[in-house]
Amino acid sequence: MKLTDRVENEIVVLEPKGKIMGGPDASLLNDKIHEYIENNRKKVVIDLAKVEWMNSTGLGILISGYTRLRNHEGVLKLANVTDKIQSLLTITKLVTVFETFDSVDEAIKSFKK
Amino acid sequence: MQKPQISGNRISIPSNQEFLSDVDMFIEGILRGYGADESIIADIAISVSELVNNAIAHGNAQNDSKKVIVEIGKNTDVVTISVIDEGVGFNPNTLADPLAEENLLKEVGRGIFIVKSLMDSVDIKPSPHGTKIIMTKSIK
Repeated sequence: MKLTDRVENEIVVLEPKGKIMGGPDASLLNDKIHEYIENNRKKVVIDLAKVEWMNSTGLGILISGYTRLRNHEGVLKLANVTDKIQSLLTITKLVTVFETFDSVDEAIKSFKK
Repeated sequence: MQKPQISGNRISIPSNQEFLSDVDMFIEGILRGYGADESIIADIAISVSELVNNAIAHGNAQNDSKKVIVEIGKNTDVVTISVIDEGVGFNPNTLADPLAEENLLKEVGRGIFIVKSLMDSVDIKPSPHGTKIIMTKSIK
């Protein structure tokens, strides 16, 4: 898995690419989320357009970021959730936890409401 | 640390997550050879990754010297995959319900549940010498 990240108008956008299945690559995403939280960033969007699939380790990373941000009065949102990941969010009921958007732009705009 | 060993439709890896992608490439390659479509390949690959992760972390307790073995076969349109570890077995009836309200935000504990949701059948055979999990999925 590869990871690119940027900050757009104080909103962190993370773009993992590949499969999130565990191992050292998964740690990369987890560590980056937590690094931004440590640097006091409170708004994070994870763009999942280029994630082929993830397993429960990937879901755990999303949950970890979500809860840690929430504990710091921040918010994590998901954009471009693929059908495969959407089905995993549904069967695990995590669809009731995460806000999802059809594009990064929509996710970013939602922070201004 | 040893490297992954492939023999026919069987791959054996040391118990280290750095080899997850080796198993994934092996399994997906065989499934494409069987003519499975990409969505089914993803379901099976996710399930295999769940069980291999569990075998490494829980079954073999991250002990590099212990192996995880994955075997794959097909009978008409049904693929059968086995994941085997060298641990001491576990009681699948003690797994917590990941859909329970109190577990929803836990970072772990969803692996077997996801496998049972994605695959057609899952048979867990624990023993004091290791656990073997056999799962099947129709690829037609």
